[in-house]
Amino acid sequence: MGNKMTEGQVVVVTSGKGGVGKTTTVANLSTGLARLGYKVVVMDLDIGLKKLDLIMGLENRVIYDIIQVAEGECTLKQALVKDKRFPDLYMLPAAQTRNKDDIKAEQVQAICDELRPDFDFIFLDCPAGIEQGFRNAIYAADKAIVVTNPEVSAVRDADRIIGILESAQFNDIKLLINRLQPNMVKSGDMLSIEDLMEHLCIDLLGVVPEDKSVVISTNRGEPIVLSENAPAAQAFSNIVRRLVGEEVELMPMEDDSFWSKLKRNLFSRK
Amino acid sequence: MDVAKLDIKGLNNSLVFVFGEGSLEEYITIIKSKVDNNPQLFAGSSVIFQGDGLKLLTQDELADLQRICLDYDMVLNNMQAPSSPRAEKKPAASRDLIIYKTLRSGQRVHSDASIIVWGNVHESAEITAAKDVIVLGKLEGLAHAGCFGDISSTIFALQLSPRQLRIADRISRSSGDLVKNNYPEIAYVEDDNICIKEYTPHEAIPK
Repeated sequence: MGNKMTEGQVVVVTSGKGGVGKTTTVANLSTGLARLGYKVVVMDLDIGLKKLDLIMGLENRVIYDIIQVAEGECTLKQALVKDKRFPDLYMLPAAQTRNKDDIKAEQVQAICDELRPDFDFIFLDCPAGIEQGFRNAIYAADKAIVVTNPEVSAVRDADRIIGILESAQFNDIKLLINRLQPNMVKSGDMLSIEDLMEHLCIDLLGVVPEDKSVVISTNRGEPIVLSENAPAAQAFSNIVRRLVGEEVELMPMEDDSFWSKLKRNLFSRK
Repeated sequence: MDVAKLDIKGLNNSLVFVFGEGSLEEYITIIKSKVDNNPQLFAGSSVIFQGDGLKLLTQDELADLQRICLDYDMVLNNMQAPSSPRAEKKPAASRDLIIYKTLRSGQRVHSDASIIVWGNVHESAEITAAKDVIVLGKLEGLAHAGCFGDISSTIFALQLSPRQLRIADRISRSSGDLVKNNYPEIAYVEDDNICIKEYTPHEAIPK
């Protein structure tokens, strides 16, 4: 195990609405951070509907799960699954045969506290919804990344989630816009980044364009951030660099005038 | 002893806070300790205030309690004014509720006087007030002014683009295409209909 570089932080990735790309985001950000040499652990809290192991390609290495850790059937060390590619990336799997009420928010927090001394980043993959599973995930977290798609239904749910996070005294909430299609924005058929920022009024962490190769990489269990040329890979690795404090400009989205507007938007909010 | 001062019961999917005799500080301490013990139970729950203890509180103190509940993400559900005999003797004692944050989707506030919001009211947030609603920002959610029937109530916003407006028992929907005007507007009832016009300070509000 390498040395940890920063004070451990617990980051919850959440959205309200399902299918916007929370798990994909967790897999890519954690892989990207591990590639930069950070010590990272990802925790799948979508108990009963786990996906993170698949997306990271670790499904056949899973032996124990988070519920068994919480119930004391195994130690936390035994349950952590080591990534295939990076030695400092670990995953704590969810249990597929149990449900979200089988674990308490305090137990999740205890696990996070146990991991904190050994890791730079602890990512919590939050389930969709605002019920127990969501409460478990936000209870232990220090900061939040809210993932949304440029569509009204996802934005309404994101707004609700941000409201709940604010009430829970979160002061570091960042927005990640996933699956943006610049040509649809240009033709006026999709909400623009500015529309989203104006409505949600929180800091923008990054924008990931719609990219068909994400589906392929998800099915293969290889996070897209590792592929060379995909636009989504570039977007995710930029977000990773922003997470560790670098100032990285937003990628140009094909259209120059559009791009310059975004740039202004991002930096005026910094 | 705490139980006598403030009892919390579940009733018809709501949490009923029954106020016994006590001071504002005591109520606040009890609410905070109960919520901190079990935040999941309270967050998102609708809350109704009841009990004789309320009659001894001023409207300011009541607003403080409402604000605390809102900070914990509870939904305030007092549709009847918690009538206090003291307030009836001095109607002027009824105080406005001032909110210093943006109300997001799913959040709800109510006041037995007017409400002023220093922030936006997002889509699917709800504001109900016995008198006026004043939003110093965008109003995109649902606003109900004069919710106990005061038809002279008005709704004001720096950017008035709600899906629906209610004043007393009148309801008005947006036409579908949301027009965003960048000037303050005011809504009021005239000839049985809700009218919206640009707000000009020198023009008397039709009250």
